[in-house]
Amino acid sequence: MYDEPYRWVEAVGNRRQYLDEQFRQGSPLVAVSYVDGIVLLTTSHGTLKLYEIYDRIGLGGMGHPADLEKLRFSILDMAHTEGFQRSPGDVTGSRLIKYGMAPAIKQAFEEIYKAPYITKLLLAELGNLPNQDNFYTVDYDGTFEEHHEVAVLGATPKSQDTMRAYLKEHVTPTMATLQSVLEVAVRAWALGALSQIQDNENSDSSSSENKETQASNDSISEEQILEHLQNGLKDKTLECAVLERQAPGSSKYRTIVQQDIHSLLPFLHPTTN
Amino acid sequence: MGFQGDFFQLLKDQGYQFDIPTPRFGEHGQGALPPITQGTTVLALKYRDGVLVAGDRRATAGNMIMYDRTDKVLEIDRYCVMAIAGVPATAFEMARVLEHSFKYFRRSQLQDLSFEGKLRALSKLMKENAPAALAGTGAVVPVFAGYDHQHGCGKIYFHDILGAEFEAVDHAVSGSGSSIIRGIFHYLNRWSGQPIAGLDEEEASIIVLRLLASAAEFDSATGGANIESNLYPIIKRITEKGVETIPAEQLKTLFTTKVAQYV
Repeated sequence: MYDEPYRWVEAVGNRRQYLDEQFRQGSPLVAVSYVDGIVLLTTSHGTLKLYEIYDRIGLGGMGHPADLEKLRFSILDMAHTEGFQRSPGDVTGSRLIKYGMAPAIKQAFEEIYKAPYITKLLLAELGNLPNQDNFYTVDYDGTFEEHHEVAVLGATPKSQDTMRAYLKEHVTPTMATLQSVLEVAVRAWALGALSQIQDNENSDSSSSENKETQASNDSISEEQILEHLQNGLKDKTLECAVLERQAPGSSKYRTIVQQDIHSLLPFLHPTTN
Repeated sequence: MGFQGDFFQLLKDQGYQFDIPTPRFGEHGQGALPPITQGTTVLALKYRDGVLVAGDRRATAGNMIMYDRTDKVLEIDRYCVMAIAGVPATAFEMARVLEHSFKYFRRSQLQDLSFEGKLRALSKLMKENAPAALAGTGAVVPVFAGYDHQHGCGKIYFHDILGAEFEAVDHAVSGSGSSIIRGIFHYLNRWSGQPIAGLDEEEASIIVLRLLASAAEFDSATGGANIESNLYPIIKRITEKGVETIPAEQLKTLFTTKVAQYV
């Protein structure tokens, strides 16, 4: 039945709807470049969502953990064989995404008899200087974008725009400490998560109500953010990783352990202090 | 599912061949084996805080000195090194495979490969290399040392050319200067009144420099320190914190005050 072109277009359309639905409960992901490196931040329910890919490359994702694992392994294979057969300097985020991930994800998305990858990816590549840091995001249909300074993944376009706008406003090139970057990143994450919740409510409610709630959307207050961070994180784990520019040795990726996250972001746990 | 996190297998699946079958020279009237580049003396010893691994800087091919700035103490990852004597072409390739294998395992399996796992990976490569080792074109005799977090101590292993591994109690030596070093080491450990395992880093470093200087004195393939060119042996220490190279400046001071002009 999908032989006819318009059926195929319709099927792809259905697929978009299905996939959008899958990400609704997903946790946004925030990446920020600063003087000492790159910070990646998201939340998870036990399964990791941030990964080390190569010496200077980290990966974060949203979506189904099994799909994420599958793609992570293929990107690892690609990076390591390239790094071994040529040189670590030839393993670049751009090549991994453009010639590796994006075509594979696009193909799976358009093969309508097969299951698509339920994933959105964000790849962070550490440069020698902050202005050489690169970010690549890949959507579930294989569309990829290149970003600098900051990059985000969110369930809805609005959530992504909100986070990006917040980060652009609050991230300054002079930010020197990991703590200051984390404080901005975690707030941007909360903003994205709240924005997703609002989008979900909007799409659930009828169109007439929609307009009213839409108006109140634009202002998410600092209190709401703090409240969401303190209560919304109770059943989740805040996950952070850094690519450290000055780290000794060739591998620059480091996961920040929970204990350090607690001491860097004490306001998340007011009761424990 | 198969065997997870095995980078060497992945390479082989993609057509990579570690050992290229080598014809035996002399068998078909081709004459003797041409001189092959060899790395010479390396040693590892346990001291108070961990392990010191060292090597001279010379690579030779027959009577010729190929290179006097070779680094034969190869850092495989943050916690282990492979010191190599034998054919550098094979040894450097082994080190590259190992380095990528350990990283690939950590990144894909989300945990570090155990010290024993690392050792096993080297043995596997040595086994693959056996034909070349026997043909005389690719013999490598490594000393593998690292910090074992499961047991909380530094460890030293040495190998024969076919890949059998032996754990060293207090030290291991490989290469053409090794018999000289073994003799002195045995003497010092037994009768100097100060077992090497109890020495601090500076004392142990002085011993290492003197051992290598002695090897250079009697073995033409072992290079000595070259003060004019500011070339000293490579010494790396392995402790709980990982692998660190002892800076050349420090070695220069120790060498000039405790090795070159002593007594």
